[in-house]
Amino acid sequence: MPDPLNHPRFEALLMPHLDAAYNLARWLTRNDHDAQDVVQEACLRAMRYFASFRGEQARPWLLQIVRHTAYGWLQQNRPGDLVSLDADDAAAEPAAPIEHEPMAVAARNADRALINRAIAALPVAFREVLVLRELEDLSYKEIARIVDVPIGTVMSRLSRARALLQQALLPGARPVLREVPLRATQGGAP
Amino acid sequence: MNGERITARQLTAFVDGELELERQLAIEARLASDAALRAEVDALRGLRDALRDRAEYHVAPEALRARILFAGAPAPPSGWRRWFAWRPWLPAFAVAGLAAWGLSLALDARVWPFGRDEALMQEVIASHVRSNFGQRLVDVASSDQHTVKPWLSSRLDYSPPVTDAPVPGAVFVGGRVDYLDARPVAALVYRQRQHVIDAYVWPTTGPDAPAQALAQRGFNVVHWARGGMRFWLVSDINRDELAAFAHALAQADAAARAR
Repeated sequence: MPDPLNHPRFEALLMPHLDAAYNLARWLTRNDHDAQDVVQEACLRAMRYFASFRGEQARPWLLQIVRHTAYGWLQQNRPGDLVSLDADDAAAEPAAPIEHEPMAVAARNADRALINRAIAALPVAFREVLVLRELEDLSYKEIARIVDVPIGTVMSRLSRARALLQQALLPGARPVLREVPLRATQGGAP
Repeated sequence: MNGERITARQLTAFVDGELELERQLAIEARLASDAALRAEVDALRGLRDALRDRAEYHVAPEALRARILFAGAPAPPSGWRRWFAWRPWLPAFAVAGLAAWGLSLALDARVWPFGRDEALMQEVIASHVRSNFGQRLVDVASSDQHTVKPWLSSRLDYSPPVTDAPVPGAVFVGGRVDYLDARPVAALVYRQRQHVIDAYVWPTTGPDAPAQALAQRGFNVVHWARGGMRFWLVSDINRDELAAFAHALAQADAAARAR
């Protein structure tokens, strides 16, 4: 097994971004234990690829690996989460006219639990761009690199993610979003 | 661009400040006269503020940090089980790993005493790293040993020898209580140049042991036992300086006891 601290540079560069790595993994897997496993695996991979690290920004570099690892994990354990969004990417504006004032009010009044539930219920491709943008404050360019899509796609997905959230936060707007699949993970939860 | 429809995508980018400057300014200008557009932008900003303010930022658990820093050390069994569960090619390695782990346990059982020092070194380095990562370098900040010693004694079941910085250029920063070797121990914190030196001191029933220098992962460790106390020093300072520091600290400790 590779030994991380044989690379003091690795530690100095990447350990400061462990929270970011965990936050992304946690939002993608929606589970503490799975997120820890994903981050640990991602760090092992990062060590392996470290030779190819050319001094670019460390956080996006690590997040890209975390995201890739998390997708591998989802593929294995919850393939249902990974529905293709090709159709949604191009999705047009909602058909019905939207009242923006109540949405602004609803968002400003929404409590923590409701906000977290609404994000967790987003399809994963929308969830990741939203988390990278709002919680990590990354630029579209950085997000595009991490998610490996064109910048225009980042823009579309963010736009869709926000529209879905706005609706989910409206009072009484419950079943708009998909339910979170409750499939048990392998390996026995504690 | 008057009257031209602005798409949701563009508005999203506008709110994020990601449009080209010219376009950004054009929409900005249009906001003044277009109430519907203003409402839409306001809704997006309300959402953004709510998310940034209230969406949960999941902070990495301490255990995970330690697990990654010390990936070679055995992790909690449940973690490993789950970890292997989604890597079908790994069971072979798992068996080998478990065998090695079992062997290290056997070694640990006094067949070969160095197994314990190895484990303790992991603990000491982990503790040092954790305290440097977090805000908790010291619980009691004082350069006065007569303040720190009673503070530590009142929180431990022994009274650790507390020595002022033993070499010129080093400063005594304070002390804290850490958990090592399955017991609470005193950690004395020194600073030399930009480096933190942690000195862990706790009682032992074993015999005196001469100083031993170890190094792992860029950290240097020196440990010895004397007069019923174990001393473990750890720092990222270079080996020679740590050795000199340890030597001076042992001398100062001996001198204090002789008085």
